[in-house]
Amino acid sequence: MTWSLYALLAVPLVAVLLTLVDGWRLARAATLIAGIIALVLAVAIALSVRHGRVLIGAGGWLRVDSLGAVFLLATGLLYAIAGVFSIGYLAVDQTHSDFPRFAKRYFAFLNLFGWTMLLVPLAADFGTLWVAVELTTIISALLVAIDRTDAALEASWKYILIASSGLGIALLSIIVLYATGTHVLGADYVPRFERFLHHAGGLSHEAVALAFVLSVVGFGTKVGFVPMHTWLPDAHSEAPAPVSALLSGSLLSAAFYAILRFFQVAVATGQRSFAEHVLIVFGVISLVAASLFVIRQGNYKRLLAYSSIEHMGIIALGIGFGAPLAVAGALLHVLTHASAKGLAFFGAGSLLRGYDTKEVDGITDAGRAMPWTGSMFLAAALALSGLPLSGVFRSEFEIVAGGFARPQYVGVTVLLVFVNLAFFGIIWHAARMVLSRPADLAGDAPATAATIASERSTWMIAGMLGCLVVSVGLGVHLPGQLGALLANASHRLAVPG
Amino acid sequence: VPVLPDWAIQTLQVVTILALAPLVSGIIARAEAVVQQRHGPRVLQPYYDILKLLRKETVLPAPAGPVFRAAPYISFAGLATIPLLIPALTTFGLPLGYIADFFGVGLILALSSFVVSIAAVDSGSPYAQLGSSRLRSFGAFNEPTVIFVTFVLALTTHTDLPYAFGATIRSSAVQVVRPSHLLMIAAFFMLVLTETGRIPVENHGGTLEFGQIEEGRVAEHSGPGLAFLRWGSSIKQLLLYTIFMNVLVVPWGMASSGRLDVVALAIVLLFAKALVVGAAVVVIESSFAKLRLYKIPEFTVASFMLAVLAVVIFLFEPSYGDSELSMFGAIATIAAVIVLLLEYGMLRSQDVWEQLRLYALGSAVVAALAVGTAATGHGNGELYVLGAVTIGLKALLFPLGITFVLRRLEAEARVPSVIGVPSGILIGIVLCALAFIVLRPVHIGAEAALPLSALPVAVGGVLVAFLLMVLRPYAPSQLLGFLALENAVSVASLVIAPGLPIILALLLLFDVLVGVLVFVVLVQYLAVERTAVRTDVLNRLTG
Repeated sequence: MTWSLYALLAVPLVAVLLTLVDGWRLARAATLIAGIIALVLAVAIALSVRHGRVLIGAGGWLRVDSLGAVFLLATGLLYAIAGVFSIGYLAVDQTHSDFPRFAKRYFAFLNLFGWTMLLVPLAADFGTLWVAVELTTIISALLVAIDRTDAALEASWKYILIASSGLGIALLSIIVLYATGTHVLGADYVPRFERFLHHAGGLSHEAVALAFVLSVVGFGTKVGFVPMHTWLPDAHSEAPAPVSALLSGSLLSAAFYAILRFFQVAVATGQRSFAEHVLIVFGVISLVAASLFVIRQGNYKRLLAYSSIEHMGIIALGIGFGAPLAVAGALLHVLTHASAKGLAFFGAGSLLRGYDTKEVDGITDAGRAMPWTGSMFLAAALALSGLPLSGVFRSEFEIVAGGFARPQYVGVTVLLVFVNLAFFGIIWHAARMVLSRPADLAGDAPATAATIASERSTWMIAGMLGCLVVSVGLGVHLPGQLGALLANASHRLAVPG
Repeated sequence: VPVLPDWAIQTLQVVTILALAPLVSGIIARAEAVVQQRHGPRVLQPYYDILKLLRKETVLPAPAGPVFRAAPYISFAGLATIPLLIPALTTFGLPLGYIADFFGVGLILALSSFVVSIAAVDSGSPYAQLGSSRLRSFGAFNEPTVIFVTFVLALTTHTDLPYAFGATIRSSAVQVVRPSHLLMIAAFFMLVLTETGRIPVENHGGTLEFGQIEEGRVAEHSGPGLAFLRWGSSIKQLLLYTIFMNVLVVPWGMASSGRLDVVALAIVLLFAKALVVGAAVVVIESSFAKLRLYKIPEFTVASFMLAVLAVVIFLFEPSYGDSELSMFGAIATIAAVIVLLLEYGMLRSQDVWEQLRLYALGSAVVAALAVGTAATGHGNGELYVLGAVTIGLKALLFPLGITFVLRRLEAEARVPSVIGVPSGILIGIVLCALAFIVLRPVHIGAEAALPLSALPVAVGGVLVAFLLMVLRPYAPSQLLGFLALENAVSVASLVIAPGLPIILALLLLFDVLVGVLVFVVLVQYLAVERTAVRTDVLNRLTG
């Protein structure tokens, strides 16, 4: 199966090359196909590692285990669907004179971005992991700025400045870990994950604790933990919708994956409860702050961005609760959040194309004007809020149940209260957008604003449907193979050594 | 070889200082002229000046009284006393060496300066009074600096005798490269520049009234009085150089017995050390501009704050015990402190070109650290490659590339700070102290040979870089802040993880390279779209 690792890394790069050789139509097709192949490969890898097998390639520089496979799935899913959705999203601009150049650039960067995110779970050592995460920042900053509007440039500048600084701290955490490792591993060695786990006994506890905190602050900047989150709503709201979906659904969790690798080392050195407390603190702060921001948000893409912060807080709490059920739930949440948030951002992108505004107040009666988009955006809002039938319900339920089992009453209480608060916020805004009739059109006059807005592309609807199927599918029935994968991955986070 | 009795050495010490002082001034003046491609005065010119003035008659201003007439002689007498008290030639205390401690030396120096100020008031001349009032107000922070420097000395040696301090350092050389000691040296060096009327505080020997401080004060003196004041000021300079070198930096090379040849060698070495300081002064005088008058307190405050930081760091430094000084430890700590000081320089600077130069200098130091690490047998030969790549990329390519882009964009060079510069530096110093306090209890448990005290310095550098980004809302400055942060992390990595495989180190550098390219692309977009590279106007997206 080692070939699948190489294939997974080769496919997006081939797509990048294809975007450069010919026109934008080829670029479009290449992206679409590359995304789907990547998804298939990710599923294949996940299936092969679900019982604890570890795939190693490139002389030990590439490595996937069940934990990495979970994040690989999230990225593969959104990369594939973003390829589909982008076709429709860009088609609206097709009449512009510089469209061919713009489209080629867009698809080239989209594939590069996908490649860097696929690289993150494939890294076998902390150094490569850091490099991959930093590459995601650099490429996605260019994608955020691709529209070159004032707001997009502002968002991109803040994003790359804050995220790169955060990653500077993350690098420091790797260095501290490396330094303490020299005690048992010799003066120069490659900082592979399993080496630290095997020699955990010789690591200094204080150094590991320091490295863990630094990694939570550093990589947490990219995860969007409050108070390092300030770049996140800007970047997510100004990027093109498919990019927003990738940023939110898979990039945030990819950064979280980096923290989990430090978490493993902390657990292996017997610092489990300390690490859990750190995650609970950041999780609670993020959850509380984000759900309050959700309520008073007037821009629906920013609303979704804050919802992403909230969900990252939920994942942090799930890992922090520590019960196997909660950890498995948190890992499942990575996938359910990816599908639901992808759906929401794709819906938001479709609405943006239809109404040409990002304000909640600017959109009325989307349910009639854009029946597919409107209904699926509402479905996304419901799914994100964790209503039964959606995958998010299953994962949040597992987290809460795990929290009660531990027991972590304070954390669970905060979780329940603020998840409900965010629920009200999201539903209230989404329902206004989709269901409300324009005030002045209560009579018989034809709805002017609503008639202008209409479904713009079947490709966009197809992308949303894909996300919806996955999101609901995970809620209705969890496949046995996925269950095994999650159980194995949570086992890796729970056992020292 | 005859052995000199103590009283003879004591006398010789005073004579040496008094006789060599004008020569040192003359050499510095000549060297400066040569560097600046002027012909310059003869090396012996200060002696001729003094002799000429001694032969001239004294002209007194009308209101001058006995204070004015006596001041030059009291001042000179004070300065001539100090060589008795400091270790100029010998490592052992001479008979009169213990009659005053470090504070005593400071007190006598202050007295010498004070009588000249009083005389300036007595003269009734506005220029002289302006000079002394400027000296008093700008010098307000010099005394606390001296006090805090003395604190570091006293904390290390449990006494404040200059002789004892030199002896402590000689007994354990690791003292010299403690971060606190290095910062104290930096603070004291700035103090020396201020006290001897050098750039960036004053144009030494300048004749333009607007900038005069030290020179203005003696404007009304003439004849023998002026001769003694001139001589006195060169003595003061040599005294400060002597304290700087023989007590703080290199307390080696002094006579340990009274043998004539050893003492003679000590005199030669003292002269050489003074010239080394003089060379540093020449470099500074030739490469920096004088500060505007109202900016001078920033300089003195900065030196004071460095001294405070030195004391704070001293309290939270990892304990040294009887650890040996390793070459690597010395290189690492010195490099880390220099990188940190350069970052403070960037924090102080309001000019993007100066920040760029300081960054390039910092990168060169990082590269030197990489080479030094490899040369002392840590890491492996690959670090030479890393050093070369660092020089090429961070010291040459980035600064030149950024210069090119900024010139093409015709970007504004001024990058004012959001808050006052001294406040900014104060916050920076608090952050650095914080790094020491936080890291103190952390036991890394790495190889024993690693110089752990350099880690908190590097972490302090990371925090100061953050501060730089926050306080300068200009895209180029924020980019430089990010790069400075990367430099500080590189220092940390070289210090505590020199074995990090080269492939990873190069990958990290490659990432930074790509990151800088993206930054530059964004800076260009920003400049094109907004005709400015300010980032504090980026406030559309909030909430």
